[in-house]
Amino acid sequence: MSRLADALPRRVDVPLLFAALALSAAGLAMVVSTTSGTPRGSLGGRQALFLLAGVVAAAFFALFDYRLLLRASPALFLASLLPLVWLPVFGPTIAGAKSWIRLFGGFQVQPSELARIATVLLLAWILENDDRPYLSTRTVAALVGVVALPVGLILLQPDLGVALTYVPFLVAALYLGGLRPRVWAGLVLAGSLAVGASWFVLKDYQKDRIRTFLDPDLAARGAGYQVRQARIAIGSGGIAGKGWKEGTQSRLGFLPVRHSDFIFAALAEERGFLGVAVVLGLYGLYLARGLGVARDARDRGGSMLVLLVVLNVAAQAAANVAMNVGVLPTTGITLPFVSYGGSSIIATWAMTGLVLSVAQRRFVNV
Amino acid sequence: MPASAREDRRPLLRRIDRLAVASFSVLALLVGIYWVHQVLRGDDYARQAENNRQRSVPINASRGFILDRNGKLLAENEPSFTLLLYRRETRDVEASLRFVSTLLGRPLEELRRRVERLRGGYDFVPVVLDDDLSIAEVGAVEAHALEHPELVVQTTERRVYTQGTVLAHLLGYLGEASPEQLASRAGRVRSGESIGQRGIEAAYQDLLAGTSGLRTFVIDSFGREVAELDRLDPLPGNTLVLNVDLDLQRIADDYFRDKVGSAVALDPRTGEILALVSAPAFDPNVFSRRVTRAEWQTIIGNEDRPMQNRALQNVYSPGSVWKAFVAYAALTNGIPASETAFCPGFATFYGRRFRCHGAHGTVDLPRALQVSCDVWFYNAGRRLGVDALAEAARTFGFGRPTGVDLASEKAGNVPSSAWSQSVRKHPWYPGETISVAIGQGPLLVSALQTARAFSALANEDGALPVPHLFRIGEHVRSGARVAYRPPVTERVPFPPGVRETIVEGLWRVVNQPGGTAYRYRVEGLDACGKTGTVQVVAQKQAKMTHQLPEKLRDHAWFAAFAPRDDAKIVVVVFVENGMHGSSAAAPLAMRLIEAHLRPGSVPVPEPPAAPAPEATPPGGTTTAANGAGAPATRTGA
Repeated sequence: MSRLADALPRRVDVPLLFAALALSAAGLAMVVSTTSGTPRGSLGGRQALFLLAGVVAAAFFALFDYRLLLRASPALFLASLLPLVWLPVFGPTIAGAKSWIRLFGGFQVQPSELARIATVLLLAWILENDDRPYLSTRTVAALVGVVALPVGLILLQPDLGVALTYVPFLVAALYLGGLRPRVWAGLVLAGSLAVGASWFVLKDYQKDRIRTFLDPDLAARGAGYQVRQARIAIGSGGIAGKGWKEGTQSRLGFLPVRHSDFIFAALAEERGFLGVAVVLGLYGLYLARGLGVARDARDRGGSMLVLLVVLNVAAQAAANVAMNVGVLPTTGITLPFVSYGGSSIIATWAMTGLVLSVAQRRFVNV
Repeated sequence: MPASAREDRRPLLRRIDRLAVASFSVLALLVGIYWVHQVLRGDDYARQAENNRQRSVPINASRGFILDRNGKLLAENEPSFTLLLYRRETRDVEASLRFVSTLLGRPLEELRRRVERLRGGYDFVPVVLDDDLSIAEVGAVEAHALEHPELVVQTTERRVYTQGTVLAHLLGYLGEASPEQLASRAGRVRSGESIGQRGIEAAYQDLLAGTSGLRTFVIDSFGREVAELDRLDPLPGNTLVLNVDLDLQRIADDYFRDKVGSAVALDPRTGEILALVSAPAFDPNVFSRRVTRAEWQTIIGNEDRPMQNRALQNVYSPGSVWKAFVAYAALTNGIPASETAFCPGFATFYGRRFRCHGAHGTVDLPRALQVSCDVWFYNAGRRLGVDALAEAARTFGFGRPTGVDLASEKAGNVPSSAWSQSVRKHPWYPGETISVAIGQGPLLVSALQTARAFSALANEDGALPVPHLFRIGEHVRSGARVAYRPPVTERVPFPPGVRETIVEGLWRVVNQPGGTAYRYRVEGLDACGKTGTVQVVAQKQAKMTHQLPEKLRDHAWFAAFAPRDDAKIVVVVFVENGMHGSSAAAPLAMRLIEAHLRPGSVPVPEPPAAPAPEATPPGGTTTAANGAGAPATRTGA
């Protein structure tokens, strides 16, 4: 893998950038396909604007020395938490949750997506400062605390889907930092207990989703309806797909939130298995290049930063793709780069900018 | 503690490699899962997606019209408006119901019940709130289409019987196919479809129904139609022309307005049914809508059983009408017409006294028929024995269905010694033969059988045609015709002179002074007939028959044909508790004959104004509350 990375141009990691751009283009096409001619017909144009903003943000972070950001990360983290504290108390309720801050021009910002960037930076900074083979207890406590804080605040909104996207951060950070096997065993046990206990905290609709995930026939017309319709959309796409804007499941409204959570099912319907393979291949490329950049990063902090970003994107993508086909319960996790949504797109691109920044500076001073 | 280039990077690199393996395994697994669903099982899902988005709804074919022999319309279709509620289109079903209730004045409770019935079903299936909107109500609903998109008026066709109750038993009615009917007509009838129940509607269901079409359209996830994909037009049903003559039917129906009984008029040469009336009747239009509980109670609560077709589903003792066939048995078994009997008003057989209704003195066969002398027939019956009588009866078609094209026909009963042994498990008593000889006893016949048997007397060649209503079925588009195909006609064998002798007797009944129907003759019709009076209670008790409760009064028969030569019509009239065959039944028979032989000579009564909401004609016949203990002769078996 390092040999592959060695062969690539040095200044800008072109394959990684290409993967991100191609995924964004595919997402834009699907947002247009699933919304044009409907009351949501304006979403395609807005998504294009978000992408533009995302690419600008990525360029900004790519040019910026990530080491400065790492050093500033504790302050950035605390700053990013402020809106999260404000939201559950004063935030407007939109779609049943206080997840959004209204901006001018009808745009809204999801602070939980922006806090993601600060969290990534702070986690990398903490890991940078503990380079022994196994993490100290203090470091573990710090990592858990840094993830738990935003997750707790986001659960207050409540937005389970976004909160869950923070979990890979912690797992990846602990794994990359290094834990003794018995510590892992203890964590897994504690995690299982927490999941079990969470059943009593979950809202009824969230329990329903888990039940229907476990038994889709349980409620063919209720929550299971979405899972079943999504699977029909995916399966009926066949090898080559039904064609752009020809997906009957998505165009006729059988597919739920088809421009966002279930956009991959819409893509599978219109582009078929070939389209699915290409998109998953692009994620594979993004991941492979990310891992390559992490290997070659000039310092531990850079490696950690890249790994956390790339694993977060990959984990979210895998969870969403699995959820679309009904292999994981429906949780509202969006597909990075592809699903409609400004904050998510901009945050993902900004983080990709961090990866590009690490990649650019890999051989400096070595 | 700044990052150091000298740190040991190996553990990190190892972890990155492991991560790569794990991540790409997950990626490969996901690709595999999509491969299974999209490539291996893609066709199955594609079918499910098609089913999802396509709905096929049958288009009902127009049911064929039914006409009388002169082309007068008996049954047609008219548009009917159904109010549907699409629950998905409204946030508040209750508010929609309240709106409908105020707008159309329907009881809110009934509307709620209709919604409740579909609760738990798919909510894109509309609820039928009302299936009988007036044009004004359709306008009222459609004026609010914008505020209430959930309310949709659907136009369908409803069967209309133009003559109301007049042809009720003959035409039958439409009703939702029962599970048994669905099973026996698998593939031809859909669940929930209305098909013919009873009468012509049932007998010629397949000819009348036509072939339904199919409309296939694309729907969205709300069940709303997006576009039509395919349309297969329905083929309308055949127009049916019946043999019935509406004028005769109306005359008979009018006569029975205040009576219980039946009347049949046939063309003796072909068996064409010119009129067939059973009273009381019901209004078949009631069944074209959803029958309300009250309407159904009115029908089944009527102790005169308006749903029964008395002309062929009820069997009775034939009374003296039977003497025409005993005469045939006598003449073909060696008793000549010239043989006389002396009638002092009674006769004694086996130590028992059998009465006659008069003292007729010395009578021969034609005279015995003319005055309906029991004594002559008692003697003939005693000499012939029950089995000779039974054989003659079967020759004339009694004891078995006539084969008419209406369902549920009764066979009646022709008693014989073998029948007594096998059914009653005791020997035939010779004394019973005396009763059978005058049409009493365990002998049971229907009015239709009697009319068919009289056809054989009316026809010079003794032909015994199968009575039938069906004349022509004509395809509306192609004009292709299906005509009635008569089966091989049975014949009653008449040795020379036998038929002429019987006909002479029947002619005298109507045309010679002393004949039992002489009072009711119509000059020039040349009708031949036979009266019959069936005792409901034993004669001993019946001294003052007029004072008997109506249900216990005698039944009246009159069977006739005309003219004497080349007869063109046979009529049988039966009036339950009508007292005398001559007075109660003969007038209608004569009127029908005259109307048929001299078109326009008899005023045709107008049908009752508009299909009455009441299912039965008002009749004095149901007043006998104390008519418990069903009269013995009204055996339905």
